[in-house]
Amino acid sequence: MKRVLQTLATLAVLAAIAGAAIVFGGLFNVSARAGHWAITPWLLHTTFRNSVELRAPAQSEVPDLSRDGMVALGAGHFDEGCRTCHAAPGHRQSAVAAAMVPRPPHVSEIDPSWKPNELHWIVDEGVKMSGMPHWPATRTDDVWPVVAFLIEVRDMTGAEYDDLTARPEVPDDAPDGLAYCAMCHGLDGRSGNQWIPRLDIQPRAYLERTLLAYADGARSSGIMHMAASRFPETDLVELAAWFADRDPVADPATRNLDAALVEKGADLASRGTRDVPACTSCHGPKAGPRAEDFPRLAGQSERYLAQQLRLWRDGDRGGAARANLMAKSAQDLSDADIAALAAYFASLSAGGAEAEGD
Amino acid sequence: MLPFILRWRFVKRLFAGLVPVVALSGCSGRQSILDPAGQDSASLLTLFWVMLAGLVVIWLLINGMMFFFHHLSPRKYDESIARKLIVGGGIVFPTVVIAALLAWGLSMMPDQRAPGDGLRVEIVGEQWWWRVAYWPDGADEPIVSANEIRLPVGRRSTFELSSAAVIHSLWIPALGGKMDMFPGRETFLTLEPTEAGTFRGQCAEFCGASHALMAFEVVTMDPEEFETWLAEEAGPAQSPEGEAAIEGADVFSAQGCGACHTVRGTEAVGQVGPDLTHVGSRMSLGAGILAPTVDNFIAWIDHTGDLKPEVEMPAYDDLPEDDLLALATYLVGLK
Repeated sequence: MKRVLQTLATLAVLAAIAGAAIVFGGLFNVSARAGHWAITPWLLHTTFRNSVELRAPAQSEVPDLSRDGMVALGAGHFDEGCRTCHAAPGHRQSAVAAAMVPRPPHVSEIDPSWKPNELHWIVDEGVKMSGMPHWPATRTDDVWPVVAFLIEVRDMTGAEYDDLTARPEVPDDAPDGLAYCAMCHGLDGRSGNQWIPRLDIQPRAYLERTLLAYADGARSSGIMHMAASRFPETDLVELAAWFADRDPVADPATRNLDAALVEKGADLASRGTRDVPACTSCHGPKAGPRAEDFPRLAGQSERYLAQQLRLWRDGDRGGAARANLMAKSAQDLSDADIAALAAYFASLSAGGAEAEGD
Repeated sequence: MLPFILRWRFVKRLFAGLVPVVALSGCSGRQSILDPAGQDSASLLTLFWVMLAGLVVIWLLINGMMFFFHHLSPRKYDESIARKLIVGGGIVFPTVVIAALLAWGLSMMPDQRAPGDGLRVEIVGEQWWWRVAYWPDGADEPIVSANEIRLPVGRRSTFELSSAAVIHSLWIPALGGKMDMFPGRETFLTLEPTEAGTFRGQCAEFCGASHALMAFEVVTMDPEEFETWLAEEAGPAQSPEGEAAIEGADVFSAQGCGACHTVRGTEAVGQVGPDLTHVGSRMSLGAGILAPTVDNFIAWIDHTGDLKPEVEMPAYDDLPEDDLLALATYLVGLK
C-alpha cells in the first residue's frame, strides 16, 4: 500500500513538472501554421457538437422562419457581421479567414444537419476558442433572421445573395455610411421590409439618441449594435439628420389590417386604462406639441411595433434616456393589447394627421 | 417610617403615570379621535371615554385592594373571603362588565352602518394615493378627483371602497372609524360630519414602502357650499393664464403627462395617475405630503422617488429648470 502511494505521489510530481515546463517553459507550440495533432480536431468538434445539442433551445421555440423579409434582414446582418470569416455564396473565402485555426466554414459549406434551434444557439452564444463571437446583445429574438438566412443560404446562388445585400447608389450629398444603412432601411428610410422600422417619420432628436444608444449597447439589438458601433458619433448624428429630413409618405403596402383590431387599438392608444398610459399622449397623433425624444408611430410597420412592444413588456428592450417611461408603460400589456396597438398605429397615415400636428 | 403614599418613590411613580394623561391633551387637532367632528366619531369617542373611565375605576380598585391587603392590613384572612373575592371579582364582575360593554357597543353599530342619504363617494386605494369619484344622487357619470375628500355637513355620505393592488384602509379619525379596502372586493362605510372644518385622513393598513406617505385632506362644508364646490369640481380645467402657465401647458402636452393624467377640457385623458383637472385648488400635493406650492410641484416632478419611495410616477429629472417652473406654474393654476 505504501509503495502504491509513493508511486502515485512521484507520478503527480512528475506531471506537475511537465505541466510547468509546458506553461512556463513555452514548450507547447501554439503555431496556427503547425496546426493541431491529428486527434485534436475530432476531440474539439465532438465536444462542440454535443455541447450545442445539449444546450440549444427547444424546437418549439423556433418561429416561422419563412416569413417575408426575415431572410433579407438576416442576410444584411450577415453581410457586414459574418461574411468577413464565413464568406458569401458564390464568393471565395478571404485568405485571412481561411488561415484561421480552426478554419471557419464557408457559409455554403455549413453542415446542413444543424437544426434551426442549434444554429440559433451557436449564433447567440458563440463558440469559445474558435474565434466565433457571441451575439452582441442580451436580446436574442433578433438572432432568428440570421438563422432564417443560414437555412436559406444552402440553396442560394451568388447572384441571389448579391441581390439581397445590394447597397444602393447614394446621392452626392449623402452622409458617410448611408449606403450601408440604406441596404436595409432604404435611401428614404423606408425599407418595405416589415421587420425593419421606417425612419422617415421620426424626429431628428429621437433618431440621434437612438443611434447613440445602439452604439453603446444601451438599446439592445445584436443587429443595430453592430451597425451603429461601426461609425464615429459624428457620422451617426449626420445619418440621423439624413433620415429625419426625409418626407414621410403614406405606405399603402402596410394597409392590409384587421379593422376590429385597429379599432380596439385606437381606443386603447387614445384613452389608455388604469394600468396603461394613453400612447398618443407621447407618440401622437394629437394636436398639442410633442417632445422630440418620443418616436412617432403613425404608419410604422405593424410587425416591428408588435416586436418592440413585446421587448418593452418583457424588459429586454433598453433604450435612450427616457426608456424608463416606456418600460413602465408597457409592463401590463397583454399579447392581445400588443396586437391591437401595433395594428392601430400601422393603420395610420404617416403623412396625414400626424404631420399636421407638428 | 412614612406611609407609602407620602414617600418620594410613590410621587415619582404617580408623576410618571400622569405624564401620558397630560400629553393626551395634545391630541386635539385635525387627525384625532379626541376631537370629533362627526356623528360616528362622537359616539366612538363616548365609547372610548366610558371605557377609559371604567378602566381607571377598575385599575384603582385592584391596586387599592392590593395596597390594602399588602400595606394597610397585612394579616392572614379567612379562605372564604379569598374565594368570594376570586369568584366575585374574577368571574362575575368581568362577565357582567364585558357583557354590558358588548351590548352597548353592539347597539351603536346600526348607527355606524346606517345607509347614506345621497352622496356616494367611490374611493380606490392606489400605490400610494387615492382615486376619488363623487356620485351625487341620480348622477350617470362621476365627478372625478383625487387625494382629497369633501363632504357636506349634516348629511350621511356613503363611501364605496376598493383597491387596485394591495390592501389599504381608509381612516378619517375626526369623522369615524376605519374601513379596509381590498382589491377585487367592495367595502362600505358611511360618515356624517357634524362640523365644518379641515381634517386629515391616512391609510391605516401597511401597504408598502410609502404607506406612511399615503394621506389625504378632508374638507367638511356647509351643504350649499358643498354643492357649489361640487359643481365647480365637475367643470373642465381653467385655461392657463399668463406666459409661464401657457408655456407650462405646452410642456405638459409635449412631455406626454396626459398619458397618465387627465385634465378635463384638454387632450389629457390618461387614467393611470391622479386626475389633475383642479389640482391647483387641492390642499395638498402627492397625497397629503406637500403643500401645493410652485416650489413643491417642481420638487415633486423633479424627483418623485425621493419624496415618496417606490412611487409609480417616474422622476423627470432631465427636464430643464425653465420647463419645470413653467409646468409647476401651470399646475398650480389649475384651480
